[in-house]
Amino acid sequence: MDPQLLISGVIFGLSIGSVFFLLSIGLSLCFGLMRIISLDQLLYYAIGAYITYTLYLVTGSVWIGVLGGMVISGIVAFGVERFIFLRIYERDITFTMIASFGILFAGVGAIKYIWGLAPLPVPSPINAMASIFGTEIPIYRLIVIVISFLVYVSIWAFLNKTITGKAIRAGIENVEHVEGLGINVYKLFTTTFIISGVLSGLAGGLHAPLIMVDPQMGLEVLPFVFMVVIIGGLGSIKGTLVSAFIVGQVISLGAIIYGPLAQMAPFAIMLLILLIKPTGLYGSKMLKR
Amino acid sequence: MVKLFNWSRGILLAFFCLLLVRVFLPLPFAIEIIIFATYTMGCNFLLGRVGFISFGQPAYLAVGAYATSFYLFYFGTNPIIGILLGILAGVAVALIIGPFFVRLRSDYFALVNLALAVIVFYLFEKVLASITHGDNGLWFLTNIASTPGLDLGVPSDFFIFVFLVAFGVWVLYKYLDDSIFGACCQATKTNEDKVKFLGYSNFKIRFLAFIIANTTTALAGSLYAVYFGFVSPEIASPSRAADPVIVTLLGGVGTLYGPIVGAFAYTGMKDLISGYISNWELFIGLLLVFIMLAGEKGIWGSLEPVLKRTFSKKGKPTT
Amino acid sequence: MPTDEILAVEGLNVAYGESKVLFDVSIHINANEIVSCVGRNGAGKSTLLRTISGFVKPTSGTVMFADTSLVGIKCYDIARMGLKYIPQDKKVFSDLTVRENLELGSYATQDYNWDKVTEYFPKLTLLMERKAGYLSGGERQMLMIGRALLGDPKVLLVDEPTEGLAPSIVAQLQNVFLELSKKAALVIVEQNLSLVSAISQRVYAVKEGRVVHEISDEGEIKNNVCEKYL
Repeated sequence: MDPQLLISGVIFGLSIGSVFFLLSIGLSLCFGLMRIISLDQLLYYAIGAYITYTLYLVTGSVWIGVLGGMVISGIVAFGVERFIFLRIYERDITFTMIASFGILFAGVGAIKYIWGLAPLPVPSPINAMASIFGTEIPIYRLIVIVISFLVYVSIWAFLNKTITGKAIRAGIENVEHVEGLGINVYKLFTTTFIISGVLSGLAGGLHAPLIMVDPQMGLEVLPFVFMVVIIGGLGSIKGTLVSAFIVGQVISLGAIIYGPLAQMAPFAIMLLILLIKPTGLYGSKMLKR
Repeated sequence: MVKLFNWSRGILLAFFCLLLVRVFLPLPFAIEIIIFATYTMGCNFLLGRVGFISFGQPAYLAVGAYATSFYLFYFGTNPIIGILLGILAGVAVALIIGPFFVRLRSDYFALVNLALAVIVFYLFEKVLASITHGDNGLWFLTNIASTPGLDLGVPSDFFIFVFLVAFGVWVLYKYLDDSIFGACCQATKTNEDKVKFLGYSNFKIRFLAFIIANTTTALAGSLYAVYFGFVSPEIASPSRAADPVIVTLLGGVGTLYGPIVGAFAYTGMKDLISGYISNWELFIGLLLVFIMLAGEKGIWGSLEPVLKRTFSKKGKPTT
Repeated sequence: MPTDEILAVEGLNVAYGESKVLFDVSIHINANEIVSCVGRNGAGKSTLLRTISGFVKPTSGTVMFADTSLVGIKCYDIARMGLKYIPQDKKVFSDLTVRENLELGSYATQDYNWDKVTEYFPKLTLLMERKAGYLSGGERQMLMIGRALLGDPKVLLVDEPTEGLAPSIVAQLQNVFLELSKKAALVIVEQNLSLVSAISQRVYAVKEGRVVHEISDEGEIKNNVCEKYL
């Protein structure tokens, strides 16, 4: 294979994997701690992208847009958590999943209402190219990879070094015991949900210049995010990182080998992994609440 | 115990309503409701009886629809054979993927199924484009030969046909519900370990339920194909993945009449509301959230106890 | 009745869905007292403790902690008020180190004085950086009791503390409970009768969701009268 093609393919895969990673952390954390499958994270992803577009039009800077997208996504996530999830945390996981799907759907409708049906372009904030082993690589993609790596490090530090993070890790193991120690777990839930929403918004904002922003964008990445989360194992941050990059590489290298493979190959990999380990690479057994 | 909705009466009641639909509502609407109800029965069975939620039903729908369409487009003209092939394809696909899928936990199951729907969508749209004609779809309305007795090419006859099919499927589910197998399904949903102690295999129970449910869905796909005389990858579109789940919830999870009530309400609302607002997703989404917040029982689920009470007060004990 | 009553449960009824678990249960605990609950598996002892500590909502009845009613208060607030429940499953946060486990115990009340933990369980000082998942059963129980001590609880509800532990550790726990009773009242659900008779001042016998007997005579407790309720 042409080495130039290979290098750009790997970088492309890494940047896609970065976006998937940012997007999947939310799903994974929410599942781990609250035992919900928060499909509405994909709505915050779309909101992040749309706010980036709007703020870019207003201010002329994509970066301000991305920041604004994170903030607005966080606010929307907070509202949704307050008014919907807080009432249904106790329910069966399938029911919270359906409710979150409803939120996602309603959100897609709202986006169509506000921004219209047509796909919208967001330009890349940096058009310069870097040269890696003689291959021209857009710097923006490298920045996306670096940002996602920084997010991984800070999430790791948050979970391991702060008391809130430790409480979240403890809650992932056993929520009831955390409550028994006098810690208000609903505050932890809200914190986790907002963090997830902000990261999903960041994913949307960063992804916007690489694709067209359209109302269905959440639904379009949905299967890939599922694959990432399933392959990595629900509730594991490390697993999410590893599998996001596996899926990113499979998509991008698969596309180089044979076009239609890009959409199918991750599914094949997912089946293979589930066949060997039904709970994903790093997933633990389902802890029932 | 007073059991009002016993076998024969329950069936008569539900399908009497459908006959009323036929008389009072336009034919296409009636046909759509019945096929939709059949489509939902599989999902309802999975969710209500086995505890598996599937966002991937369009995949199985597409399998049935395409199997029928391939036959009618390339090989033959008899719609009955086409439908039988659709059912066979449904069984075959369920047999192949079932063993992998039913081992999964309920939440993983939902996710994997949605992923499957996406794959099937791409498969029919892009990968197999040479035989599916991609987005243009396959048109074979003129290929469908008239059949003796009930002519499936004629809408009024087709209505009777789908009516009988749906009736048969419904009776099958009613029968399953009352059988040992139905009890086993309920049991695996509630407590896997105890099922094991009783000497049943969770895997086998789920596998069988999976086959039955997805074959039903494939059958509905075949019916759609014959009815429209046309099929396109749009039938597997993941954006419609929520439809059967919504209808199941709308009707009431696990209730036998749920799919019929739900399909009726959903199709009706869709027709009514889309006349006023074009923004359909917003409405469905809010509706779903509302159903979940209101207590997930659905229309029939909330209606059933009320009906039972009023009817049993009139005092007609049937055992 | 003495004025130093710290926990009063009156007419408590609890049901899980359709099935009733507790029927009109009334118990009273005085400050610095050790009270045991004995009874068969499934009699409702654990449910009683879980209801008092707010994890289960009663259908009726009152729970008074000092002068506050606990019914309807969230379990984490109850724990913060000084009534701690130590569940029987011996599940520490296995992915966290012993130190982190203790930090979480300190967090709610901001009580970082760990001397009171290590005073009872000196062994924990050696294990601080170890992941709690790698502790032995006895060490886990020490950690669970230890992290509950932070914040100076007034009442400790301990669910089956010695289940599955080695006799030497049971003996150690016995001393710890006696020491603890100088600072707090303890309600212990226990099947181990020798422990019960050694430390309890009173015993409630629970059977099929009802308190069937209250033994306050020390002689009777020592003579293993409770045996017939197991």
